[in-house]
Amino acid sequence: MPEKQTLEEIRERLKEELIENLSLEDIEPKDITNDEIIFDENGLGLDSLDAVEIVVFLQRIWGIEIKDMEQSREILVSIDTMANYILENA
Amino acid sequence: MSQTLETTLRGNSIGFWFFKTFLRFGGLYAAYMLLLGVSLHYWLFDKKTVKSSSAYLKRRFPLDSKIKIRLKVYKLIYSQGKQLLDRIAQTSGSIKFDIDFIGRDILNEILTSKKGFILLTAHAGNWQLAMTELNMLEKKIFLVILKENNIAVQKALKINNDNSMFEILSPEGHLGGIVPVVKELNNGNAVSYMGDRPYGFESLKVDFMNDKASFPYGAFAIAAATKVPIVTVLASKTGFKTYRVDFTNIIKPEYKGRKNKKNQLSEWVQEYADILNNFFEEYPYQCFLFHDVWENK
Repeated sequence: MPEKQTLEEIRERLKEELIENLSLEDIEPKDITNDEIIFDENGLGLDSLDAVEIVVFLQRIWGIEIKDMEQSREILVSIDTMANYILENA
Repeated sequence: MSQTLETTLRGNSIGFWFFKTFLRFGGLYAAYMLLLGVSLHYWLFDKKTVKSSSAYLKRRFPLDSKIKIRLKVYKLIYSQGKQLLDRIAQTSGSIKFDIDFIGRDILNEILTSKKGFILLTAHAGNWQLAMTELNMLEKKIFLVILKENNIAVQKALKINNDNSMFEILSPEGHLGGIVPVVKELNNGNAVSYMGDRPYGFESLKVDFMNDKASFPYGAFAIAAATKVPIVTVLASKTGFKTYRVDFTNIIKPEYKGRKNKKNQLSEWVQEYADILNNFFEEYPYQCFLFHDVWENK
């Protein structure tokens, strides 16, 4: 697990991981806003195939285990919701 | 995302009572005799079943006339009924079936690794009978199944029982219910998916019986992301009281690079479709899809 990161560092790392793991072409970290809904067609437009990857890399990098679907509904929303959860729980 | 499929729960409680009584007092032969008439009823009046099974049979037997296909529909309905009765007989403990497990050593190897794995079943042969025999795994099996299928599956696998080795995970939740699936795989447990129904994930078109058919890719996407193997389960009825459960077909999805993931998934889905195709070539009357997977939507 990495050393304690700041919220901003976690946000940046999350954006980089999203782009790399999900092969988001023509997108750079600066193009993703912190409050963008990632599974919304008006946002990043990710789908359940991408969700699998996110759940796996959250665990691999930060040791975050999302326990149930209720929790996933709250955490897997935007860069901000994920980063805040990582900051408090990693 | 999650697609809802209409599910046919054939029979009613009175019908099942008759079958159970025939099984109890006359054994399998008597129950199979009763089934001949009941199958005739479905063959004559259940248009949906006739249509969906014809979709399979005309591809499996492309040279057959319409009349021959229609007759084979009866054979298929009867065959499914027999396997349903076998399952009832087996779960009630009234009749013992000889089950030959092929590939137990491969399964043991996976179990020894302590990694989680996906059990991929399909409406091919008697998958529920095979599942009830998986207590040899000595671990809980998490079934990813739609709510409307739960009643039939719960009855067959005795899921409400406190000591049940099965637990149901719904694919209807947030993001196709993948969070608990990934969690159980990371905990080294077995998660079972139906490989021929799109629970929680979209489907891909692959070659199946010389035509393009839709198969779901969810199990393969999860396996590739979590790096767990897929163990396919094929349970064929090989005789009056004999079955063969085959675990030898293992698929190990692993992404080669991060580009074109859908194409890579397609390769593994095709591999599975080929496994099913081979099974249906060997056992043409053990294809219980009853769903037109070739339908263009």
